[in-house]
Amino acid sequence: MEQAVVQVEGLNLAYGTIRAVQDVSFSVKSGEILAVIGQNGSGKTSTVECVEGLRKPNHGSILVFGKNPLKHRNEVYKEMGVQLQETEYPPKIKVEEQCRLFASFYEHPADWKQLLAQLGLEEKKKRQVCKLSGGERQRLSILLSLMGRPKLLVLDELTTGLDPEARQNMWISFRNIKENGVSIIMVSHYLDEVEALADNILYLEQGKQRFFGSQQGFRDYAKEQIPEGERKEGCSLEQLYLQIAPKTASQKWRLE
Amino acid sequence: MKAFFIIFKTEFLLFLRNFFSFFFALVFPVLMLVLFGGIYGNEPIYSGKGMMDICVPAYAVMVMGVTGLMSFPLTLAEYKEKKIYKRFDATPVGKKQIIAAQTTVHVIMTLIGIVILCGMGKLLYDIKIQGNVGPICVGILLSTASMFSMGFLFPVIGPDSKGTSLLCYICYFIMLFLSGATIPDMLFPDTMKTVAGFLPMTYAVDLMQGLFAGESFHMYRTELLVLGLSAILLTALGALLYRKKDWT
Repeated sequence: MEQAVVQVEGLNLAYGTIRAVQDVSFSVKSGEILAVIGQNGSGKTSTVECVEGLRKPNHGSILVFGKNPLKHRNEVYKEMGVQLQETEYPPKIKVEEQCRLFASFYEHPADWKQLLAQLGLEEKKKRQVCKLSGGERQRLSILLSLMGRPKLLVLDELTTGLDPEARQNMWISFRNIKENGVSIIMVSHYLDEVEALADNILYLEQGKQRFFGSQQGFRDYAKEQIPEGERKEGCSLEQLYLQIAPKTASQKWRLE
Repeated sequence: MKAFFIIFKTEFLLFLRNFFSFFFALVFPVLMLVLFGGIYGNEPIYSGKGMMDICVPAYAVMVMGVTGLMSFPLTLAEYKEKKIYKRFDATPVGKKQIIAAQTTVHVIMTLIGIVILCGMGKLLYDIKIQGNVGPICVGILLSTASMFSMGFLFPVIGPDSKGTSLLCYICYFIMLFLSGATIPDMLFPDTMKTVAGFLPMTYAVDLMQGLFAGESFHMYRTELLVLGLSAILLTALGALLYRKKDWT
């Protein structure tokens, strides 16, 4: 049986008295894309940050390439690339300096000059990172996650800040990356992106795991949650999600 | 080792691009020298020593203070608040190497600042450095270690970068004015001398002035003890607090 690249069992994480993640279990196999979805504050980033070894869970087991990412972070990070939800860079650092710096962290780094060209950042390499646009910074963040030629990518809000064309290009890029056997965990609020890329879905609601399984399995699960008379055929993933996502007080607001 | 060298090189460049750090470590002490040298001159007045002979080792401690108590902790606090360390933690290298490189860069800039200061003192006022290079270097490194160990604590004690800045400014300026680094302590009343006795920078100034004047270590046992102990204890405390701190 193929060993999972990521294996999470009974993950629990609390911030003081707030239980941010409760009994979450999932796995990711080689060459699979898992999308983690849910509302703001549902525990998505907390969950992936535990996988990244950046947060210490209160309970549960996490294995990445068969190793505990907290205890074996150096070994795990040789094969894992990460794009954090928010990334700031050292003040006044230039794009090429940031790339050279990250390349030095790996024994066999990717050709960052080629990546800069592929991501449309070649002309910006002499520019200070703080002077890049939001989309350019996002592309740089993705580039840095690829620097170590990872076998596992953890991407928190992959295409936030990118224009529609760049998002499409990014989807094609990550399909190609997946074809090369790289596993991807992606946190996303864009359900069209999830629909286009994800093999499996982990759906979280207020820190609790509501669903983990295939994309088709999530569609079936969502349909089951919707009252029979309100079900519609041919719904997009986003339409299905909007029908099952809880309408909490924070989600009800709107401008009139 | 290759990674450390590249990190060091990058942090060195970033230090030079930071006007505040560059100016106060390398330029401001020379301005002080020119300004006060212009006022006092360096004619022998205190047992054959001129005012600048006494002031230059004290200004050297000011350089240690500005890098160790200001630039260094403020850089660490900025990296911490902007979660730049967190990004480094998500690589095989981790934040320890970055902090080590930042410490090395700031220490080297301190040493360069002191060399420039002494060179300009020699050039402009022909200051007398009667001590041997070896003991003076030991004194500089020990005093620098003490200042940096204090600065190392501020980012973990301060609630955010503004809180850290406040701590840095308060500590730095109190020590700057009461340690004898800028105002000669012979002018202080007894009460202020007592207060100054609680500040590690006071011991650094006394030690540096003594070593520059060619006096031997055994005359400065208290200073060596205070600076050595503060460097060890504060670094150990800092390391403990850094380990416990949530960097996410």
